[in-house]
Amino acid sequence: MSIMSYNGAAIMAMKGKECVAIAADRRFGIQAQTINTQFDKIFEMGPKLYVGLPGLATDVQTVAQRLKFRLNLYELKENRNIKPKTFLSMVSNLLYSRRFGPYFVEPVIAGLDPKTSEPFIASLDLIGCPMITEDFVVSGTCSEQMYGMCETLYKPDQEPDDLFETISQCLLNAVDRDAVSGWGGVVYIIEKDKVTKRILKGRMD
Amino acid sequence: MASIMTSNYQPAVSAVSTGTLSQPDWLTSELSTGTTIAAVEFDGGVIIGADSRTTSGAYIANRVTDKLTKVTDYIYCCRSGSAADTQAVADIVNYHLNFYKMEMGEEPLVKTAASVFRTLCYNNRDSLSAGILVAGWDKRNGGQVYTIPLGGMWTRMPVAIGGSGSTYLYGYADANYKPGMTKDECLKFIANAISLAINRDGSSGGVIRLACITKDGVERHVLTGDQLPKFYEDS
Repeated sequence: MSIMSYNGAAIMAMKGKECVAIAADRRFGIQAQTINTQFDKIFEMGPKLYVGLPGLATDVQTVAQRLKFRLNLYELKENRNIKPKTFLSMVSNLLYSRRFGPYFVEPVIAGLDPKTSEPFIASLDLIGCPMITEDFVVSGTCSEQMYGMCETLYKPDQEPDDLFETISQCLLNAVDRDAVSGWGGVVYIIEKDKVTKRILKGRMD
Repeated sequence: MASIMTSNYQPAVSAVSTGTLSQPDWLTSELSTGTTIAAVEFDGGVIIGADSRTTSGAYIANRVTDKLTKVTDYIYCCRSGSAADTQAVADIVNYHLNFYKMEMGEEPLVKTAASVFRTLCYNNRDSLSAGILVAGWDKRNGGQVYTIPLGGMWTRMPVAIGGSGSTYLYGYADANYKPGMTKDECLKFIANAISLAINRDGSSGGVIRLACITKDGVERHVLTGDQLPKFYEDS
């Protein structure tokens, strides 16, 4: 039994034309048993900056809270919103500080630069190795399935509505092949002037 | 496995020990019909039902599995546990019952089928991982359901449940089963039961397969997507 698949999760983020999307499943379970189907794994860290945290549920919540704490101090000192790339380094630092007793989360970051509105997505492993990509990032118990779906369906520079359709299909079909993730989904589409949160109706098995 | 380090240093936690560098679990885990199965007797026959998920670790290897397996024209079994073990046992029982039918010139009794299953499951109990429900109709005793859980004991029960998802159904079965239900009430009972378990158990899912066995033979049904009975979910 792997610690990373004890609770089960599936998160992915994709880049579009002047927008980014981040999506996650909604299950909270303990091994095979499903406890809750409205468990949030995507957290807002800034007006256009979101972080998705798959992995051990207790660490999902703790890392989100500790990150928000560090971010608040940063914003008070700097008196401005943090840039996504800087936030990536902040997450990396938090995770590496626990190098030999890590938090069991593998975060996914999606956001727009607060000044230039340039799209940004990245992911990290559980000890803080950052990876910035130009197309999509995935993390969770069904990462192989998500990679397959994304490689097949992804196209660069999609409009927000098309990006929503693509990321939704990638997520729903990937989690349908994973016994410990799914039970619904949530998608955030982050554009220059608005953020749209949509709940996906999926198989509840 | 990537071995770029030259020293013997093994960190307490690494990508290797959390499973992302070595083989993924779906390559190394045995196929399990995680499962929810159920069977109920009524006057004139039996209704049996199962989900359709086969897992290899957390990977869903087959999402449209048929766990209701024929052993004779009037006797079926519901399989839970190791996919390989239950398929092998069911094949052997099928062989024995075919032979029996040829020798005796008549359909075997459900009790006979259950007994053959039991003999195999008991004598090989140390090697097998199989929880089986045997259900069918014969002309001597009508509809019967026999349960053969892990160690190889067998017993006849009017209603039986099995598999990892069955833990969520004991309360439902106790509260909702009444002796003397009609065929349609039994169909609803089983469909509801499997649906409830699918909602809670990660190892169960997919479609609901149902079968009704009476003196007229076997009638199979499948409930997919929207046809699955719905229950309370807060949202």
